[in-house]
Amino acid sequence: MEELILATAPCDLSDKAVCAPADVTELFEFREAVFSVLGFPFTRTVLLIFLAALIAIGLLFFGLRKRSLQPGKFQLSIESLMVFVRDEIAVGIIGPSGIKYYPYLMSLLIFILIGNMFKITPFINMPITARMAIPLFLALLTWVIFVVAGFKRNGMSYFLDIVWPPGVPVFLKPLVGLIEFFSTFFVRPFSLAVRLFANLVAGHVMLTLLLTTALVSFVSIGEIGLVKGAFGFAWLVLGLAIFMFELIVIVLQAYIFTLLSAVYIDTSVNVEH
Amino acid sequence: MLTHVFAQMILAQEVEQISENGESGGGAGLLLPVPEELFAGIIAFSIVFFFVWKWAIPVLNKTLEARQAAIAAELESAEKAKVEAESLLTDYRTQLSGAKDDASKILADARDAGDAVKSDIIARAEGEAEQIKVRAGDEIATERDRVAADLRRQVAELSIGVAEKVIGSTLDADTQRDLVDRYIDELGGVK
Repeated sequence: MEELILATAPCDLSDKAVCAPADVTELFEFREAVFSVLGFPFTRTVLLIFLAALIAIGLLFFGLRKRSLQPGKFQLSIESLMVFVRDEIAVGIIGPSGIKYYPYLMSLLIFILIGNMFKITPFINMPITARMAIPLFLALLTWVIFVVAGFKRNGMSYFLDIVWPPGVPVFLKPLVGLIEFFSTFFVRPFSLAVRLFANLVAGHVMLTLLLTTALVSFVSIGEIGLVKGAFGFAWLVLGLAIFMFELIVIVLQAYIFTLLSAVYIDTSVNVEH
Repeated sequence: MLTHVFAQMILAQEVEQISENGESGGGAGLLLPVPEELFAGIIAFSIVFFFVWKWAIPVLNKTLEARQAAIAAELESAEKAKVEAESLLTDYRTQLSGAKDDASKILADARDAGDAVKSDIIARAEGEAEQIKVRAGDEIATERDRVAADLRRQVAELSIGVAEKVIGSTLDADTQRDLVDRYIDELGGVK
């Protein structure tokens, strides 16, 4: 039983219902370098980030390389995904000028999707988007893009329309302007990053704790007794149900992040909206 | 949503345990990005973005354009084939209509020819029948005349014979015959 640990501490189910580490970060942080190159540590998470990029490129490459006029199922899936991002997200939300942001939105969707998918990938079970670095970087990138696009398209009126919004009664303009300013320049990137991060962290914690507790329960049933051991079955069933539910969360969160990025760019580019 | 509620409960329990145990750390550390992960994320995403921008989208566009062109060509080809088929159908219909007209004409001609032959045969038969009838009439008349002549000759001879017996002399044969004939004619006139 002592060997079946979540992280560094042993799990003893005789005095608690769920196996959980003393420090929850142990479920996410893999700071030990697998190897280093020029002093840069390639940790498990760093390797997974590069693996996500490799898989994304691989999927696109093997999906599109044949260029067949009568596509197979795989080619059709990749093409459908790309056409969906172009027509429904980039052009569908931003308008004709959205085609300029299509490469970014497409990269965003596929990178986050693969990164999320690691949560339920056997032998990996660790979504890279549950590490704040990835959602934060992507949210900041979206922020930079929509702010730059807003200034480039509308000049200073972009900023002025936010802090002194037209169509609002004059006595409310300062308050609404302040709210809009914080909402646009601070809350948006933060909420974008935290939404993705929190969803993936929550799912990862649930799956790890439930499935590990179920496994520990089955293995140590002789020590903890049949009644407590039976709880392991309940944890297993619940864990597997959440496993299926997480599949929806994975796809949905990747879509929401991409969709909101497009919406933010749209509000900057098409101020009249 | 259920996931998040459970996760929050577990995380809260953990934080409580950590506080009780006086341990450091907890979930707060998770909110801070790790530099090497941030750096890796920037590099990895840049690679994906560059690949999507420079290779995947142009390839997709070319594939879709080629497919669109192929579909347009197939549609055009189908349209041509349809027009051709319609033209052929019109030709066939025209030919069929001509053939029907020809057949009708042939049939009508045949019917006319048949009628002509029939009429000819009937006319000929009627002519022949008429000829046979006339010939039969002539033969009958000839026969009748011959029979009448024989009869007259026999009557004359009988009469002469009787007259010779009555008057006891012999008349000249020709005179007697004329006498009898005149008598017969007179009898015919009386009759």
